[in-house]
Parts: sequence; C-alpha cells; structure tokens
Amino acid sequence: MLGPRALRSKLDRIRSRVDGRPAPTSRSVGDAVDRLEESVVRHLAGHEAESAAAARLTRAFDLIPQGIVLADASARVVFRNRAASGFVDARHGEALVEAAMSDLVALAVDGVSETRTIDLFGPPRRAIELRAGPLRADPDADDGQVVGAFLIVDDVSERQRVDAVRRDFVANISHELKTPVGALGVLAETLAGEDDPEVVARLADRMQLEAFRVARTIDDLLQLSQIESDVVGERAAVVVDDVIAAAVERTRTAAEVAGVQVVAPSVERDLLVLGDRMQLVSALSNLCENAIKYSEAGDQVQVLAERDGSWASITVADSGVGIPTRDLERIFERFYRVDRARSRDTGGTGLGLSIVRHVVQNHHGEITVRSREGSGSTFTVRVPLLDTPSEPSPEPLAASRRNP
Amino acid sequence: MTDVEPANENVRKNFHQTLEEIRQEMVQMAALVTEGIPRATETLLSGNLTEAQQIIDDDDPLDARAVELEETCYQVLALQQPMASDLRGIVTAIRMIAEIERSGDLVVNIAKGARRIFGTEIPARLRGLIGQMGDEATKLFKVSLDAYIDGDAALAAAIDDLDDRLDNIHRDYIQEIFRANHDGDLPVQVAVQLALIGRYYERIGDHAVNIGERVRYMVTGWLPEHTGAARDAARRAGEPPSGG
Repeated sequence: MLGPRALRSKLDRIRSRVDGRPAPTSRSVGDAVDRLEESVVRHLAGHEAESAAAARLTRAFDLIPQGIVLADASARVVFRNRAASGFVDARHGEALVEAAMSDLVALAVDGVSETRTIDLFGPPRRAIELRAGPLRADPDADDGQVVGAFLIVDDVSERQRVDAVRRDFVANISHELKTPVGALGVLAETLAGEDDPEVVARLADRMQLEAFRVARTIDDLLQLSQIESDVVGERAAVVVDDVIAAAVERTRTAAEVAGVQVVAPSVERDLLVLGDRMQLVSALSNLCENAIKYSEAGDQVQVLAERDGSWASITVADSGVGIPTRDLERIFERFYRVDRARSRDTGGTGLGLSIVRHVVQNHHGEITVRSREGSGSTFTVRVPLLDTPSEPSPEPLAASRRNP
Repeated sequence: MTDVEPANENVRKNFHQTLEEIRQEMVQMAALVTEGIPRATETLLSGNLTEAQQIIDDDDPLDARAVELEETCYQVLALQQPMASDLRGIVTAIRMIAEIERSGDLVVNIAKGARRIFGTEIPARLRGLIGQMGDEATKLFKVSLDAYIDGDAALAAAIDDLDDRLDNIHRDYIQEIFRANHDGDLPVQVAVQLALIGRYYERIGDHAVNIGERVRYMVTGWLPEHTGAARDAARRAGEPPSGG
C-alpha cells in the first residue's frame, strides 16, 4: 500500500505524463485526483478533435480522383485513399500497377523520386501514371532525413487521348488543305506553259476537281463549326421516318453508282423526336454515305429505326470492310482516317463522322459503333423521343410493335 | 537452396505468408500474360516491329521469375511438408507456373510471327478474326486467373466450355485463310505464318483450360485424368482374368 504522500506524487507524475509537461505539485491526494481528472478530460477532448480532423482529411482524400499512398520510412504503407485502395489485391493488368507501386515506394524511401507510366492493354486500354517521392523531415531541404514516401496514381488515358486528338487535328487539317492546294499550284504551273488544247482541257478538269475538294472540306468545316456552336437551334417535332426517307433519297445516286442496295423499311409515323430536321437528315445521310462507300457491289445497307424505351434508336448497318478495333474510339475525331490511302479514293473530307457526332450531341443523344474488320460496321444513333402527353398509351403501342 | 542454414530464416517466416507471396507472384506473372495477349494482337495488326521486339525481350524476366518461383515452391515442399489443401495449393502453383510461362512463350511466338510477315497486308476479314481470337484468349486467361484467385471451382469448370468459342473462331479463321489463299488474296508463305499464329492463340486457350483444371484440383482434389483413370480401373475390373 502506498502512503498518501507517495500516492499524491504518483498521481502528479501520471498527470505530468498526460499533459506532456512537468506538473505543478498538488496539495493533497484529493487535489491530485481532481487535477488529474481535469488533465485527462482536456487530453481526451484534444484527442477527439484530432481524430475528427483526421477523419475529415481522410474523407477529403477519398474524394480526390487520383490515388494517394503514404508510406513510413521502412516503406510500409500507412495510408491509402479510396482510389489507391482499388489497386490492393489487384488482379490482371492492375496487379502490374500494384507491383510498380511497391517498387516506387521502396525507391522513394531511399530518396529517389520517379515517375512511371504503365500502359495497360486491357481491354479497355488505359495508361496509369505513378509518381512517387520521399517525404523529408524538413520539407524544404532536398537532402534531409527521409521520414516516409508518397505516391500518386493517376489515370492519364483520357489526357493522353485528348493530347493525341489535338496533335493530330492540326497535322491533319494542314494535310487536308495543303494537298489539293499544292496540286492546284502544280497544275496551274503546267497549264501556263501548255498550248495543246486537249491537254489544257484535261488540266483544267483536274484543277476543277481539286478546287471542289478544297471547297468541300471548307464547307464541311463551316457546317461542323456551325453545328458545334448551335447548341439550341430551331427545334420542332421531327418524324423519324421522314428523316430516314430523306437521307436515303439523298444517297440514292451514290448507292446506285456503287451497286449497293439500301434497305430502309418504313417506320411508324408517331416515332417523333424534338430537333432540327436538316441537321438530323445530314447526320443520317453521312452515315448512309459511309456505309455505301465501304460496302462492295451487291452488298446491302440496312437502315432500321425503333422505339427503345424513351429513345428513338436508328441503326445503319453494312457488311463492308469494317473498322479495326484500335481505331474505333477515334473515328469520330475531325479528319481522323483509318486508312489514309484508301479513304482519299472514296472522296470523303474526313469530317463526316464528326458532324454526325455533334448533331447527335446537340440532340442530347448518343452514337455508338460496333464493328469487326471484314464483317461490317453498325452505327447506332439514339435520340430522346419527343414527349407527347397527347399520346394515349405509349407502352401498349411499343409492345404491339415488338410483337408482330 | 544448396545450403539449408541461410534458407532456414526465410522459411521460418509464417508459412501462410509464404503461400500468400507465392500466390501474389503468380497473379503478377499471369498479369504479364493477360496484358501480353492484346499487346501482341495490336502489334500484329499494326505491324509494329519495335513493339514486337520489345515483347520478345520482355519475356526473359517472366522466365526468370518462373524459375525463381518454382524454386520457392520446392523449398516450401521440402522444408514445410504442407498437407491437404496447402499441399494441393503448392502443387497447383508448380503446375500453373509452367502453364503461365508457356503462355508467355506463345505471346512471344505471336510477336515473332508478326515480325515474319512484316510488310504484308492481312485481309480485313482475317484481321477481324485475329482480333476476335485475341479477345477470346485474353478473356479465357483472365477467367482462369479469376477462378484461381477466388478459388472458384465452378468458374474453373466453365472454362472448358468458354474455350469452345475460341476453337470455333479458330476454325473459321483457318477456313478463311484457305478461302483468301484460293482467291489469290494471300500468298502461301503468309498463309502458313497466319495459320501458325492462329494456332498460338488457340494454344493459349488450351493453357487457360489447363489452369482451370489445376484450380479445380486445388479446390476439390478433382483431376480430369481421374475420369480416365476411373475408366481404366473399371475396364480392368471388368476384364475376365483370362484376358482377351
């Protein structure tokens, strides 16, 4: 048993440990207990505030789309935010990211900062960037004692894609405009020194052709920029069947020349969307034109429309050469060409699908494509149906359409 | 491994921790293959020589890791004498390492094939079928690994059926090679290379099926050979002693 004096000094010692500083001597055992209680309460309150702050920080870190990993000086991971936790016990391609993460953390605690990009082939293809570095006792000193490591995981796939789009766009537009203009220059030069009327006529023909090509590219560019800026244009109820009929009519000559049959069964008249009829016709004829262009003589192109929930879904399917998988996500970019040599022959401007995508976006719709090389492509445009409260009962109508 | 003394310390590590490390290493090695298949397909279809060489070079570390992991497994077998499911886990690992390593070699073979036919244009329909075979082989390999990681015997048993899809595409592919060659779209040298490449994809599928069977063994103790062994035993039992 401790005497009161020893007990008092022991309580004081405990209090000094709780406070973390030398405690003034108490007067009696009772006083010592009271003071200790006070200290403990104060300490607990401080502790609660700290853990609340830590929880807030963790929640904030979890909202960051990048993964954040913190490790202690022995490379043991002490914190992962939500995005980074996704790579724990990962499998397949992500297991490689997980392995690279431990590598980089181990390097970082040795004082080495490193950035590594891991290309995952998936599918889907992704690029993951890992950036790691040491945490130092003195954050401003570059060679201070290492107390831990940080690592940031960033999915840079989208950024890389956008960069590629921007880079290629400038290169491609220069190419598309330079080629015919260059040809015009050469043709004009030859023409200047030519007397033979037959050759002159032929050269003039070629010049006209090249001039047409530049004009068409510029027309398409203008149309595209107009569609891009014209987010809310003249909107009216548009009958999908009319759009299809107009698009098929517009591409009739191309189809006849190519020997391709365009099959477009008529659609119920009450399949309506809200939009700009001209834009929709132009988008759909672009799709039909492509389908015809990449089909072989004797092939069929099918244009089908149907009600799909609250959407009007229009598909244009061909059985032509198809699109390589790696190009699928890029074909909607301006001037993107799957096969430069071949598509020049077909006389396109390289803007058709960009125009289509923008028209569809203007109509709050979406466009998707499925394709296999050698077995054709199917483009599907989905545009929200026009809400028609006057319509008695849309469900039975939709059902009766599917049944037969 | 030659000296037991220094290895001892390593072995004293928690046995299950070692098993977990083996598992993780295998998942990472398999990930190199699942990533390698679409990478090789893209390289083949885009005719990228540099990338083809890179794929070939990248196989060396995989081989080295396979050897090392196999050593670790033998070490565990010799020093820990695991029993029952632990034993099956190690035995499965040893067999699976071989399947993964071999699949990695097939990925390399695809890259080498891409190098050999560099500069020739592959007809569109064949390109489409190559893409499909690549997708299916990748999917099969992923599923077999999912079955392993989750210890899912039912999923493992389904891989054989999934492989039928790859086999069917492979059959169409061979047909298409004959057709294209007959139509004069495909010189016979390229046709032969393409046929070999198709075979590599098909073999990767077979290795995925093997992994599936190993996983079934790991989980349930069942082996496909058991069916054959049972048939054999039944045949012997049914045989009259005189033979004939």
